[in-house]
Amino acid sequence: MSVPQYRKAAALALVAGLGLSLTACSTKSDDAKNDASGKVTITVDCQPVGAQKELLQNWNDDVAEFERQNTDIAIKSVSVGEQCNNPPDFTARLAGGTVTDVFYGYMTDLQQVLDSGQAMDISEFANAETVPTWDSVDPALKEVFTDGGKLYAVPVKNYSMGLVYNKVLFQQAGLDVNNPPKTWAEVRDAAKKISALGNGIAGYAEYSAGNTGGWHFTSLLYSQGGQMLTADGKKADFNNAMGKQVLQNLKDMRYGDNSMGDRQLLQWGDLLTNAGAGKVGMFIGAPDTTQAIVSQFQGKFEDWAMGPLPGQDGPAKGTLGGGEGYFFKKGLSPEQVKAGLKWVAYQKLTPGKGQFDYARAKPQNYPVGLPQPLLFANGTEAQKQELELRKANANVDTANFAVFEANPVPIKGEPRNAQAIYTVLDAAMSGVLTNPNANIDALLKTAEDKVNQLLAAEG
Amino acid sequence: MAQDSGTRTLISQAQLQRGPGRAIYWTLLAVVIIGFTLVFLGPLYWMVTGALKSGQEIAQTPPSLFPQDPQWQNYADAWNNLALAKLLFNTFYYAAGAVLFQLVFDTAAAYSLSKLRPVFGNAILGMMLATLMIPAMVLIVPQYVTVIDLPIVHISLLDSPFAIWLPLVANAFNIFLLKRFFDSIPEDLMAAALMDGATPLRTLWSIILPMSRPILGVVSIFAVTAVWKDFLWPKLVMPSPETRTVSVGIYAFAGGTPMNVVIAASVIAAIPTVIIFLIFQRNIMSGLTAGGLKG
Amino acid sequence: MAITSAPGAIRAASRPAPSSPAGRQRTSLGRKVRDNLTGHAFLIGAVLCFAVFSWYPMVRGIVMSFQRTRRGETTWVGWDNYLRILDDPSFWTAWKNTFYFTVLALVLGYAVPFFVAILLNEFRHAKGYLRILVYLPVMLPPASALFLFKFYAYDPSDAGLFNAILKALGLPTSQWMQSPDMTMPAMVIASTWMNMGGAVLIYLAALQNIPGELYEAAELDGAGVWRRIRHVTIPQTRLILALLAMLQIVATMQLFIEPLILANGAGAEDSATSVAYLIYQHGFFQNDLNGAAALGVIMLVVLAGFSAVYLRLTAKQD
Repeated sequence: MSVPQYRKAAALALVAGLGLSLTACSTKSDDAKNDASGKVTITVDCQPVGAQKELLQNWNDDVAEFERQNTDIAIKSVSVGEQCNNPPDFTARLAGGTVTDVFYGYMTDLQQVLDSGQAMDISEFANAETVPTWDSVDPALKEVFTDGGKLYAVPVKNYSMGLVYNKVLFQQAGLDVNNPPKTWAEVRDAAKKISALGNGIAGYAEYSAGNTGGWHFTSLLYSQGGQMLTADGKKADFNNAMGKQVLQNLKDMRYGDNSMGDRQLLQWGDLLTNAGAGKVGMFIGAPDTTQAIVSQFQGKFEDWAMGPLPGQDGPAKGTLGGGEGYFFKKGLSPEQVKAGLKWVAYQKLTPGKGQFDYARAKPQNYPVGLPQPLLFANGTEAQKQELELRKANANVDTANFAVFEANPVPIKGEPRNAQAIYTVLDAAMSGVLTNPNANIDALLKTAEDKVNQLLAAEG
Repeated sequence: MAQDSGTRTLISQAQLQRGPGRAIYWTLLAVVIIGFTLVFLGPLYWMVTGALKSGQEIAQTPPSLFPQDPQWQNYADAWNNLALAKLLFNTFYYAAGAVLFQLVFDTAAAYSLSKLRPVFGNAILGMMLATLMIPAMVLIVPQYVTVIDLPIVHISLLDSPFAIWLPLVANAFNIFLLKRFFDSIPEDLMAAALMDGATPLRTLWSIILPMSRPILGVVSIFAVTAVWKDFLWPKLVMPSPETRTVSVGIYAFAGGTPMNVVIAASVIAAIPTVIIFLIFQRNIMSGLTAGGLKG
Repeated sequence: MAITSAPGAIRAASRPAPSSPAGRQRTSLGRKVRDNLTGHAFLIGAVLCFAVFSWYPMVRGIVMSFQRTRRGETTWVGWDNYLRILDDPSFWTAWKNTFYFTVLALVLGYAVPFFVAILLNEFRHAKGYLRILVYLPVMLPPASALFLFKFYAYDPSDAGLFNAILKALGLPTSQWMQSPDMTMPAMVIASTWMNMGGAVLIYLAALQNIPGELYEAAELDGAGVWRRIRHVTIPQTRLILALLAMLQIVATMQLFIEPLILANGAGAEDSATSVAYLIYQHGFFQNDLNGAAALGVIMLVVLAGFSAVYLRLTAKQD
């Protein structure tokens, strides 16, 4: 009845091994401080994922070059997934305090980041010394990341939505590729012609799930000249002629003309997957959706062009804008903040470097010449440099975006409580896109009541 | 499985072997075999072949029964783009660890509660059983907040396999099953061992455990299934692409991957478990049917 | 279960009469302490896991539901979170959907495996094959099975598997997940298909334990097949039927992955929103972990109430 010795040994080894791996995990997270050599170490997220080979290579090259120029700084890159800010994961990182020292977020994330208590006031650090182009950065963008006079993030990207369309399908349908539809009536006509090509091609595609439906409803409403909330932000303001027009346009295309395809309840990746496969004629989006179509969804950026967001009877009265920035985690040392700012300045805000290294991007399968990120204010030196570089290295036919650039539409930001409101409006969007007998008045009334309830509860 | 062949069931053996009963039996059997094959194997066939079709073919009406131009590339893309090897490895690693941790800690606990019976043992058992009443979804938020910042030690278990292993140890159902089984082991055996001067550990190892193989098998199957089937918890506590489980990984990629490639990935992801199941199906079936779950 | 919680119970139970009272007294205190220490040493791993991952989160969940974290500061807000959750426009929709799913799943997902098990138990041939078939879908990762349904079976065009079959049979086709009326039935079908294997096996085990004489006797009394099921099979498996009903209801009330994958969340006009999905929305989309905790507590209360009623009912039958 004795236990063979080897078994005992094996059990011991096992326990020891588990114990070791436990300690190994537990020490993983706290190594990002000044190390013995006096170097300042910072962790930065939103490193491209392995599938985006060239982007990842560029990023790593930037890190190496930056560290060579700043021998006292060490950058540790973290990749957080295909989408740098996927709301549930982002929330999880904020709640868990596992954000990196310098972390990526959307403009609309400011309130959430502040609520989580993870953001650091960087007002006193952000200046021309740490960020050489700081004074050229569009003040409106800085304002977005400012709360109570304090700055919490550095803007690194800015965009607005327009009408993205597939030139190949336009050609096949006999439409003028250089003259995209300018009103929703024209969009409807074009969609009808494109979907007539058959093969499961949707003339126009739209979201209605995963909060993206509400997001696009907002943009469509802005094009009508509407707004989501009243000026004081206390009431819903979309249950009116403009909101109804938005849904009516979609309903006409979906069921009047059957030009939006059979498959609905799409969310972000679903639509872009279809677009990459050449199954979508038009959709609304920012210039960089074409970039996503290329880098993730196996499409070709030569196929895509962009016009301004259409309006009801003429140019759109407004469009949805947004952008991204890098926040700084609370509790960093001044040296770390400065190092982080320098890195962001180098990689995101220096013409000719990092994201503006157009000479490097040109031969890569990566579009140069897109009318974004629009970071620098008009007339500044940095803007001039960036535009020149962009022109010199463009690999995208800039004509593809000329119409978009030549017809700027006033930009509006997202409403407060955006995600909760979007959830509500998903239902209205899915209603008109999946129910031939949808009652638009009722859908909007329900959504209005729900949003009002929600705002009242928020106080 | 063979033990029931002679027992009397709802309809008597004799009735099935005579005249009309016989005809009905064979007709019904044929119908059920064909029906079940269509219902349970049909979708799997559709899945395997669907993943071989091109985007055009999949959209065609009526759908084709065989892929006209098999796109093996879909499977290769799925394997490479989704890093399926890594996802599958993660899942099996988590499952293996879950089995190990549950076997070690839950067996020890059940042994203690059944045979050693320390003070407050019943109270502890009661508190454990009370958790059976709490659905996982109710705990998801506070459990998550706990895992990202463990009380007292202030460690985050995010992206660490312990975030999956340790919560699974807190499984009252397993402890209950094990304890009930141990209760049925005669005390005399224990007493004899103790008289021989064996320590409780040695008694557990050399007397109790060898007798408990069937129930340990059941607990292992439950542990593997729990890891295999769980979705939201691993999605929350394994946020990095490198640590995802197969289900979460396929879901994460589905938004940005062509439909047929997603299905191809789903097929590949299912293959290892189906093979394991087919190899061990006798043990699994008899384990599940014999183990502890008698009316 | 004869559990004596008195210390030293092992020896007391195993040795009917202490050989020498004096000897026992001598060792008793030290022995008692040591036995208890050993006992607790064996318990410690599991107890710690329960404490950290089950008991503590339960308490913490309740505490969280009365707090709000804003700007990194956590304050006590009383019933505010509950009021906010009750005011959430999707709250009642989510409960309605969840109950609807639970009921449908009981009709389909609960009754079907039982009758399948009865049927399989009668066959003398192809037993192994049929059991493997039924259990095969359980082996798929849940996301795999659901994508199969989402992309192929429930495709709303005529290229979809189900629509092609319906069309071939001359029946009207459906929009499946894009039709609010079909959302729940479609989710129940998918869920039943991928989960029923486990239940079938458990029922089979229970059926095999029914003594054959009972059927014999019933047959002699002239009971037909249906009456034999009612008067022998069901009473004989009542315990396991009751247990599984309970487990299934608790499981279906936590409906999450089906709406997430099949309906991309809320589905057509909120027809797929479930309570669990709402918890996820609040906690991880709307920056409202406290509200999510409150919703969790509400769910607990509802399930506890349900369990109480259920136990009452089953106790009465005994």
